[in-house]
Amino acid sequence: MALDTIINIDKISIFQKSNLVLANISIGISKGEFVYLVGKTGSGKSSLLKTLYADLPLTQGNVSIAGFQLNKIRRKEVPYLRRKLGIVFQDFQLLTDRSVNDNLLFVLKATGWKDKPKIQERIQNVLEKVGLGTKGFKMPHELSGGEQQRVAIARALLNDPEVILADEPTGNLDPETSEGIVSLLMEISKNGRAVLMATHDMMMFQKFPSRTIRCEEGGIIDSKPS
Amino acid sequence: MSERYSRRRMQSSSFTTVVSISLVLLMLGLLGWFILNTRKLSDKVKENIGFQVILKEEAKDVDIARIQKTLDASDYVRSTEFVNKEEAARRLQEGIGEDFIKFLDYNPLLPCIYVKLKAEYANNDSIAWIEKDLKATKLVQEMVYHKNMVSAVNENVTKISLGILVFSVVLMFIALVLLNNTIRLAIYSKRFLIKTMQLVGATQGFIRRPFIFKGIQHGIYGALVAIGLLVGVLYLAENWLPELIELQDIEMLATLFGIVLLLGVLIAWISTALAVTKYLRLSSDDLYY
Repeated sequence: MALDTIINIDKISIFQKSNLVLANISIGISKGEFVYLVGKTGSGKSSLLKTLYADLPLTQGNVSIAGFQLNKIRRKEVPYLRRKLGIVFQDFQLLTDRSVNDNLLFVLKATGWKDKPKIQERIQNVLEKVGLGTKGFKMPHELSGGEQQRVAIARALLNDPEVILADEPTGNLDPETSEGIVSLLMEISKNGRAVLMATHDMMMFQKFPSRTIRCEEGGIIDSKPS
Repeated sequence: MSERYSRRRMQSSSFTTVVSISLVLLMLGLLGWFILNTRKLSDKVKENIGFQVILKEEAKDVDIARIQKTLDASDYVRSTEFVNKEEAARRLQEGIGEDFIKFLDYNPLLPCIYVKLKAEYANNDSIAWIEKDLKATKLVQEMVYHKNMVSAVNENVTKISLGILVFSVVLMFIALVLLNNTIRLAIYSKRFLIKTMQLVGATQGFIRRPFIFKGIQHGIYGALVAIGLLVGVLYLAENWLPELIELQDIEMLATLFGIVLLLGVLIAWISTALAVTKYLRLSSDDLYY
């Protein structure tokens, strides 16, 4: 395991209920790396990501991610793991009962921010990064899918995470918007963050080539094996 | 406009919860009022139980006054009434409608004291004990009371009270289950929000807190509405049955309202905490069922 490895997946098997989805896989991802996770629907991409953010319990093998050992993680520690990860969900997972600003405010308050001016500054900062600087007052359902996805990315960036996990962030978007989002994630990875992005959008890895991990028949094929 | 619409929808879900809480509390409040007054009513019935102390012919007025005074001063007596020979004769005469003194040529009746007991002493055991005490005084001829009636009143009061109590416990249980379900449904509708909050790194306590505050707030609003309705119902009931005013007791009502408020807050608090915790513990996949 190299010094700058931020995600180290060690011989894990992933189950959905009792079905084996991925068997005995190992992956290492370093800081500053941008990695595609591809494969057919149902091949285990999302399950792998869910395992990484401890939404799916790990039963076999071990994962070391952002300093947490997932085989030993306790329920109480899970929130602290997730604060070190920026997660972008396929279905956005915004709090639909409050405005964009309040969505971001919730995350900051939940993660211990107290200073009001700093909070406002940080919110404005990430919204501008995703090009939504003027839409903070809107409710999520008033935004288009692409805008909602960008809010989700802005939210993932709030706590300056070491790892960004994105589950088909472009799945519901038009090609142009998709490009914008992928190039945004690429840029983030260049600043020293590890980005693991699940997708089945072939266009993307032709346009933005990078290391690719393919999930296939219960195993993986890594374009750059460690 | 859509924003206003979604706000209104959220408020209406709060509104439903508050209405449910207030209706359940209204029911519990009426039940509580009923129970508290059952006791008063049974006390009233029991306080009509009494006995007569028949005094001997030779008892002097001073002695009688002394006995009456002792009775008045004792713990178990609510009221006493002295009836002398002449008054007793007059009452009997009225009762049978015949001038029996003229017929007999003398008054065979003895002076007596009518005693009414306090509710807690209106039973055969206490009366027997009082009788023993009184008989010790040489001036008492005998004590008259209806043993059967006393035990019948007591038995019936116990039976009715027990019935009301069982009925109340059942109703209270139903009310709590219904309220718990209402609150659980309100939380259930937010289960995905709760999940999202967890996914962005909020701790369980941080997620639970605002829900519980909101729950307590609903409990307080519900309780206030329920108290308002209770006041209205009692007011109407008194208009309809003016005898109820006799039972009215501000202190008791204040206690009842306090209990209603406390119950509202406690039930809302506990149900909300349980429901939120349930969805915090549930895995993402189970949220869809």
